[in-house]
Amino acid sequence: MSNRQDPGPRSGFDRRRFLTTAALGGATIVGASALGGIDADAAFAAPMPSLDPAIAKSTFAEGRITAINGSVLEVAGSYGEQHLIQLTHATSVWKLRATTADAIEAGDGLYARGVDMPDGTIAADAVWVNIVNLFCTVRGIAKDRLHLTHGDGNHAVVGRIVPETTTASYLGGSLTPDLSRVRIGQSAQVLGAWRPADDSVDIARVTVGH
Amino acid sequence: MILDLAPLVCGVLLAVSGAAKLLGRRTAQVAANTVLVRVLGNGHRAAFALRAVGAVELAVAAGLLAAPATVVPGAATAVLGAGFVGYLGYAKATAPQSSCGCSARDEGPIGVRSFARAGAVLLCGVAAAFAGTAWWSRVARDPGWSVLVVAVAAAGLLALSTDLDRVWLPLRRLRLRVFGTPLPADPGGRVPVEATVELLERSLAWQASAPIVRSALLDAWDDDGWRVLRFAGVHEDARGARPVNVLFALDENATADANPSPAVRVSVIDDRTQEVVPVDLLALSGLRRPLRMV
Amino acid sequence: MACGSTSLWAGETTWFCCGSSWGPCGSAGTGACGTCQSSAHQAAWPNTTQACFNITRPDVCGEGIPRRGCGSVMNVKHQCSGAEVCVTVADCGPRTQSFCGEATCCNGACRTNRVIDLTPAAFSAIGNLDSGKLPVYIYE
Repeated sequence: MSNRQDPGPRSGFDRRRFLTTAALGGATIVGASALGGIDADAAFAAPMPSLDPAIAKSTFAEGRITAINGSVLEVAGSYGEQHLIQLTHATSVWKLRATTADAIEAGDGLYARGVDMPDGTIAADAVWVNIVNLFCTVRGIAKDRLHLTHGDGNHAVVGRIVPETTTASYLGGSLTPDLSRVRIGQSAQVLGAWRPADDSVDIARVTVGH
Repeated sequence: MILDLAPLVCGVLLAVSGAAKLLGRRTAQVAANTVLVRVLGNGHRAAFALRAVGAVELAVAAGLLAAPATVVPGAATAVLGAGFVGYLGYAKATAPQSSCGCSARDEGPIGVRSFARAGAVLLCGVAAAFAGTAWWSRVARDPGWSVLVVAVAAAGLLALSTDLDRVWLPLRRLRLRVFGTPLPADPGGRVPVEATVELLERSLAWQASAPIVRSALLDAWDDDGWRVLRFAGVHEDARGARPVNVLFALDENATADANPSPAVRVSVIDDRTQEVVPVDLLALSGLRRPLRMV
Repeated sequence: MACGSTSLWAGETTWFCCGSSWGPCGSAGTGACGTCQSSAHQAAWPNTTQACFNITRPDVCGEGIPRRGCGSVMNVKHQCSGAEVCVTVADCGPRTQSFCGEATCCNGACRTNRVIDLTPAAFSAIGNLDSGKLPVYIYE
């Protein structure tokens, strides 16, 4: 590990390039080969401090975005509560993929994790826009979509396959762009972004079981 | 022609749905979700009623198929259809979320299809009542047209069936087996960013940097064989808490399948000064001390 | 109710939505216990009742998961990061039998089978929702 005395990014300077240089030059390498594995199961058996379920370290908010005022999202919670979510340049935004605040629209659904601020707003560490994680059955397969049903009432939902984005995992394997092993009749966990316009879901990943 | 073939179409329809209700193993289960439970008091009576309706349907079907040119089976079918419409109307008004129990396999709430199907039985019954010629004579006389009419009627009834999936599923499976999947196979290109994030989030590096990282993935890019993942975080030291960027660099081709314990380069960069913050990650997170690398 | 520290189980967790909500979650309902809300620190357990067990069937995957009814309190700890969240059982799930043998690992130490489902509030307290699933230890 070392300190670097780079001048820092200036306007026009490629920030990513700068960060890459910093990341590779001043990095700590963390890997099992250098360290040996840690004994995770021993950690499981170790006693834990007692926690109260009512106390949370971070704040969570959920609801529909009703308005966007600059970097503040006005959110109507599903139980009538109101939230003001403050976005900063350190807030991660997920909407089908890691993106920026520009992709957020009024009418979108949202889950946010952040910190309560004294002025009543929530400074968000991370927001996930329109994210859904549905346990489905695959009912049909087309070139650009999966026909799915989910929930107790077997609600039909169309899962759109987004080129360069949709990935699949088979029996716990790592995510791959190879979707060709999805079969009709399979159970599948679909993580994706709900599209309020037509109630379909853009699929980020489909995790297939048996 | 259509009138003459109506007994055949409704006969088969009623025979199938009647047999499913009367003999189906799940009739009791389906009955429990219908409005009949409330009307008749308990689930046993509802199941009995559903099976009784199935028996009546089978009897009417037998009449339609065996004595198509007489009025009675057709009229009975029409009465049955009218009864179904009335039952659905009552159920819809009093318990809209209940199942209709129409085909003894169907557990969805009552919708347009349920009414259309009951209406079809009613219309079919009226048509059958006016049949002048037995369907087998008609089929023998005009085999081509008969097959066409029956096929169209069957297709229409299938389209009204909420059991459609059960019909289509094997066909769709067969199509995929014959023609192959239309979905893209692995183009053998780059590893998805999500796969790299997954690899990172299951690594020792993630564990070590957990006390600092606050956000989810902010940005990701590839550079010279490395995939760099940027997260935001807060680092606390003697000078107080300050916002930082936490950068992870991994082999852009690595996946959890090939290497579940990858080496990850981690650096913490002050968000304001852009200086690398010296952080002993493993000591910070209570893990072992790291090897120092430059 | 306080969250305990006695080891109960270990495996994968996913997340699910329940209660009033937007999008496809709007049809999810308040769960098997009638109290489930996405914004509360709650969980679904595969063996809340016999009827629940008959649906999830963790035994098919060799998981003899003990019964814990609605309202049971558990502490769920992310195996990789050590982050913890205390949750109350409010629904039946996940469908363990559909994903038998699936593993999620930390630095090569793997947890198999989906044994608990968390609400978005609980899941996001210990991990990122876009990760979909996490390896966890469960205490009571």
